[in-house]
Formats: sequence, structure tokens, C-alpha cells
Amino acid sequence: MRKILQGLVLTLMAAHLGWAQKGIPVVEAHAVMATDAAHADSTLKVAVVAQVAAGYHINDHKPTLDYLIPTGVKLEPSDQFSVIKVVYPKGTPKKFTFSDVPLSVYEGSMVVGALLQAGKSVPAGTYTVKGKFAYQACNDHACLAPTSVPLTLMIKVVPKNVPLKPVESNVFQRIKFE
Amino acid sequence: MEEQTPNENAPQETKAPETKATPGSKLLAGALLAVALVVGLYYVNRYWIAPAVKAQNKGDESHPLAPTFSLTDITGKPLNLSDYKGKVVILDFWATWCGPCRIEIPGFIELQKRYASQGFTMIGISLDESPEPVVAFYKELQMNYPVAIGNDRLGELYGGMPGLPTTFVIGRDGRVYAKHIGATDPHVFEEEIRELLAASPEAETKTFHQAGMVFADDKVELGNPAEIDSEVPGIDLTKLTAEQKEGYKKLLQTKVCTCGCNYTLLKCRQVDRRCTLSRKLAQEQLDAFLKTKPAGAASK
Repeated sequence: MRKILQGLVLTLMAAHLGWAQKGIPVVEAHAVMATDAAHADSTLKVAVVAQVAAGYHINDHKPTLDYLIPTGVKLEPSDQFSVIKVVYPKGTPKKFTFSDVPLSVYEGSMVVGALLQAGKSVPAGTYTVKGKFAYQACNDHACLAPTSVPLTLMIKVVPKNVPLKPVESNVFQRIKFE
Repeated sequence: MEEQTPNENAPQETKAPETKATPGSKLLAGALLAVALVVGLYYVNRYWIAPAVKAQNKGDESHPLAPTFSLTDITGKPLNLSDYKGKVVILDFWATWCGPCRIEIPGFIELQKRYASQGFTMIGISLDESPEPVVAFYKELQMNYPVAIGNDRLGELYGGMPGLPTTFVIGRDGRVYAKHIGATDPHVFEEEIRELLAASPEAETKTFHQAGMVFADDKVELGNPAEIDSEVPGIDLTKLTAEQKEGYKKLLQTKVCTCGCNYTLLKCRQVDRRCTLSRKLAQEQLDAFLKTKPAGAASK
């Protein structure tokens, strides 16, 4: 009976991997700003919101073991915007059958913060910042190859006399920028 | 006549209180029975009926020939699968960044120790991007079997690597008898090795049911070399004329891939063979292209 149950669980997990194989992403990610627009010569708060598929985990930005591939967000600096820093959440320690020690991982929903600096003389207009959310996912029995989700952030720069409205406040509450 | 007094110490018959099954408990019992029946039927089919049917089919459709390859192992020696013909081989696709892969390695080292003298060998194909971590791990664990760095093409020839570890069990006849995806109990491999070692190269080997973390269908499917070795990876161009191939490739150069890579469809196929979206789009473009320029028409 135990073997049958084990077989059933493994078959279901295999079907799960098949799901990943068919190109359905294990991680979905997108970037959002803390305000509806930005001013030149100011700091912008950006969040990368990622959702890890149920049953999978991705490694902490600072993985527990040397051999694990860290999760990383890379935003490409441009003539208009530079990247000041990227802030990662703390992973959750979890025990897996393949490791003697609990591993710090991200599961479910996670948010990575980034601070961008707008150039002093960026004219009003809409700009694109590109980047990627790089990860390597596993479940308890198998791992998928390292990959990344492309990120595109549209930033609208407005004159300084135009007030900025906060947006996505629930997302930004989850980030500790300090 | 003496009146019999009941013995207080004698066991007394107790009557269980009559319980009335509620509609809820009946429903639960019915649901459990139905689940048990479905699971039971699945396993009866999988391990009894399906193998029996397969045994009647003399063909080797379920056991394709293992694609051969020539690599150089991490110690600098040539590693050709064809050199192992007549031996039982476990071909392990793994990576050092993969925890479930690493945990299998001590078991493989043990199997190599135990069965190498009987005509068995382990072969490791690492899908790490660089050899350095592989060499370090190889030395740390004192791996006793050949390990080489693989590539996407080899992975595709073996049907793609949806997850690691993916392990193939190859018989003396060079056919693939089992494929395991995910960390698998070493005893499963040992059982399969023993059975294949017992078979002569010509003998029909008993069909394995797949064990461990595997897909539901038992057939071991490998990749199609016509697609894998194509000028547009993943797309079979063998039925196209040279002129059509050029026309199709030019067409793909004018189409932007929407997977987020910012490349043309042709470049995305060439640099990212794993991209399922560009493969689907390129196939759709080919189908549309052949409708306007059917095979043979271009050369007329």
C-alpha cells in the first residue's frame, strides 16, 4: 500500500514536471513602480513581483549551500535611469529529501525591490527599462534548468510640478528598502 | 437444584450499540471506495495488463536504440557510447546545481563498484555550463565512472530534459529499457541492472515498467534527429528543397519572436533551443510557408 501511494505521488509529481516541460512557466514575474510616474533627478521605487508555481521552490538570493544557483534580478541601466540597489526578501528555511540541512528558498509569492535613480535632466516622456528575473527551480525530486523571465518596465517621466500618485502600495509594504 | 448465580468474573457478552449509518458517512465510504477502485484499476493496468500486452508485441517500439554520442570526459579521455555496446549502461543526465542529482551519485558509485566487473557501466552527462564545478565534485566524491559535459543537442536526442536527474537504463543490445525522471531509489536501478545483465545481447529483454518519477506512458520516447540537427533547430526541414530552406529561413528572419528575447524567430531557435514558443511559431510559419510554396513547387 505504501509503495502504491508512493507511486501515485511520484506519478503526480512527474505530471507536474510535464507541465513545466510544455512551456508553462514555473515562475511568472513582472515589474511595477511605486508611483504612477517619476520625476527627473529623483529616486524611484520598483518592485519585481514573482509567483512560483505550487510544489516548486527557487533558491534564496543568498543560497544556503555553495552549489545552489541564486535567484537574481538584473535591471539594465540606461541613459535615463541607473540602478542604485536591489533588495531581496529573506528566504524560508525548508527541509528537502535531497539535503541534510534545511535550505533557504522562496515559494509562492515573493517581491524583490529595486531603487532606480532618474537622471538630472531626463525630459518628460515614456521610457523602457528592461531586465530579467533569473532563477533555478526544483521540487522535492527533480530540478529544472536555470532560466529567466524577461522584465519590461515602462516609466513615465513627468514635469516636477505634476504630483505623483502612489500605486501598488500593498506590494511595496512587503519590501524593506533600508 | 441449586440456583445458578452469575459469575461476576466471567466474561460478559456485550452488545455493541446499534449504529445507524448517516447519509454523510455513506457518501464518504462510497467516495473512498470509488477512489480505491480507480487507483486499483490504474495499477492493475499499469503493472499487469499493459506489460502483458507489451510482451505480446514483439516490436521494439518501446525500447528505441540509445542515440550514440562522442564526447571527451572530464579527465580528457574520449567517451563514445558505441564503445559500451554489449554492456549494460546507466546514462545519468545531471548537474552539480541540482540537489536531487547529487544525492543519487553515491548510489551510482556503489553500483559501479558492484557491477562493473559483470559488464555494467555508469556514464554521467553533466549539464553544467562549465566543467569546473563538475571536476571539483567528481574529485570530492571520488566518482569511479566516466563523466562528460553534455549539451542541449545531446539532451534533445534523448527526448529533452524536462527535469534533472533524468536517467536512462540501456541494455546490452543498445536499447533504452527505462527512463527515470527525478531522484530514484538505487534499488530500482539495481533491479534493472541485474535483469539486463542476465539477458544476452540477442535475447528479448523483459519489458520494464518504468519506476521512480516518470511520465505516465511507459514508452521511452527519444528526440527526432531530423528536428534536432536541423538548420532551424526543432523544425524538420528534410522535406524542403534547398531553395525552400533558404526562403523559409529568410522568412523567419523577418519575424520577431515574442518570447521576450527580442530576436528574430530564426535567431531565437538558433540560440535558445529550449524556447518552446519560438519552436511553435516557427512550425506555424513553416506550415503557412508550405501552403504557399508546397514541397517540390520551388524547384519546378
